[in-house]
Amino acid sequence: MSDRLIYLDNAATSFPKPREVLDRMLQGYVEMGVSPGRGSYDLALEAEDIVQRAREQLALFFGAPDADRIIFAANATDALNIAFNGLLQPGDHVISTRLEHNSVLRPLYHFRERGWISYDLVHFDDNGFVDPDEIGRNVKQNTRLVIVSHASNVLGTVQPVKEIGRVCAERGIPLIIDASQSAGKIPIDMTAWNVSAVAFTGHKALFGPTGIGGLAICPDLDILPSRFGGTGVDSKSPIHTEAFPHRLEAGTINLIGIMGLSAGIDYIMQKGMESIHGEEMALLKRLRDGLSGLEHVEMYCAGNLSDHVAVLTANVDDVNPEDGGAILDGDFNIAVRVGLHCAPLVHEDLGTISRGAIRFSPGIFNTPEDIDHAIRAMASMSQNQKHGGGAGLRR
Amino acid sequence: MTAEEEREKLLADLGRQARVVAGREIYFDWEGFLWDPNDWDEEVARILALESGLADLSEVHWKVLRFFREYYFYHGRAPMNRHLKEGARLSLGEIESLFPGGIRRGARRLAGLPNPKSCF
Repeated sequence: MSDRLIYLDNAATSFPKPREVLDRMLQGYVEMGVSPGRGSYDLALEAEDIVQRAREQLALFFGAPDADRIIFAANATDALNIAFNGLLQPGDHVISTRLEHNSVLRPLYHFRERGWISYDLVHFDDNGFVDPDEIGRNVKQNTRLVIVSHASNVLGTVQPVKEIGRVCAERGIPLIIDASQSAGKIPIDMTAWNVSAVAFTGHKALFGPTGIGGLAICPDLDILPSRFGGTGVDSKSPIHTEAFPHRLEAGTINLIGIMGLSAGIDYIMQKGMESIHGEEMALLKRLRDGLSGLEHVEMYCAGNLSDHVAVLTANVDDVNPEDGGAILDGDFNIAVRVGLHCAPLVHEDLGTISRGAIRFSPGIFNTPEDIDHAIRAMASMSQNQKHGGGAGLRR
Repeated sequence: MTAEEEREKLLADLGRQARVVAGREIYFDWEGFLWDPNDWDEEVARILALESGLADLSEVHWKVLRFFREYYFYHGRAPMNRHLKEGARLSLGEIESLFPGGIRRGARRLAGLPNPKSCF
C-alpha cells in the first residue's frame, strides 16, 4: 500500500492545486478581499481590475472576441443553466448527444417535461465519437441550439467540435460546448470553430478552486438574463442591466475564485497546455497498456487514445465498481471515481448502466510509479475474481 | 383498489416493500436493504445470506457483520473504507470476496445497514 494518497480523480476536481495558485488566492484575498467594482475607494477598483483582467485572460484563452462577454458563474452546470434559461423559448428544438453529463441532460429534460422544448440526442460510435453529419441530419426547422460535450467525462473522447461548428454555422444554428473536461487540456478557439458559447469550470483542468466557472459568449448569441439583482451599476433602475457582463451576473462575484482561476490559467500558460496534456496522456497510455494485459479487466473506448483527454474507464468482471473503488481506496490508497459519473446515457450505451464503472483520471502531479501502483491494484483485484470471465479491451 | 392494493401502492410510493422474513414482516427498500436497521437479527442475516447464495455464515463473516453494526450504532453512519479495514482486520478485497454481493450489496446489506444511496 502506498503511504500517500494516489489521486486519480482529476476529472472530478484537480488535486492538489499548484502551490502558486493557492498562494495567489491567499495573498490576493488578504490584500484586497473586497467587493469588486462596488465603491469608489481604490481597493474596490483594484479588485475590479483583477476581475476584468481575468475576463480578458479567459477571452484570449478561448478565442472569444469580447472580454465583456466572459460571464462568471459557479461552475459549468451553473453556466449551462444560464445559457438554457436565457436562450430557449417554447417550441424550440435542441440537438445534443448521448455523451452528455447531467448538467446538460437534466436541464433539457426539465424543459421538455414542461412541454417547452423537444430535443434529439445523437449517438456516439463504437470509439466514443459523435459524427458531425449526424447532428446536421437531426436539424429541424425549429432547431434553436446544438449543445455538445467537448470531451466525454466517462470515455475521455474529444469530439470534433470544429466540424460540428461548421455544420451548425452552415445552418445558422448556435453551438454551445461544455468544456468541463477539455478547458486547460485542449486549445479552444471558439471564433475559428464557430462556437457561440463555451461553458467552463475552474476546478478541473484550469487548476482553480471549486465554485468558479463561467460562460464565454460570442456577440451573435443573445442570452437573456434569467436572474436579476444587484450589479453595482445603474442602481436606481428597477430593471436589471442589459449590458454585458453584468447582464448575466447578479450579486457580488466570487472574487477569490476568480483570483484562483486566473492564477490557474497563468500556471497553464507558463507550463504549456501541450506539455500538460502530453504528460497526462503518457500516464494514461501507461495505464491503458498495463490494464490491457490483465484478465477480467474491461476498458471502454480506450483502443486508440488519439483525440482523448486523460480519462479511462474500466471494470473488473465480478467486482461491483463501488466495491472496486472502496478496495482501491482502502487497500491501495488510490482515489478514483466510481458509478455512472453523472452521465447515465453513456453507461446505457456501454451496457454498464446497472453497475457503473471505475474511472481513472491522472493529472500532472501523478507519476509513472503511481500508475504502476494502480495497475498492480487492478491486477490484484482481477486475480481475486470469484468467478472466471472474459476480459480485455472493449471497443 | 382493494385495501391491500392501496397499502402496497403506498409502500411502493415510499420506496418500500414488505416481506416476511424469519416469521416477521420487515420493510426493505428496492435494492433489498433493510428500511430500519433495528429490524435486523442474526436469523434475518442468515436468511438474507442464504438468499444471496451463502449457505453458511462463518465466524469471519460474523466478525465483519458485527463490526458494521457496532460501528453504525456507535457513530451513526457506516464505517469509512479505512475504518472497515482496521475494524474487521481484513483487507477490503478480502471482505469483497467473502460476500457474494461484495461489500456494499453483500456485507453491508446483510448487516442490516441502510442503503448508502451513494452517488450512482
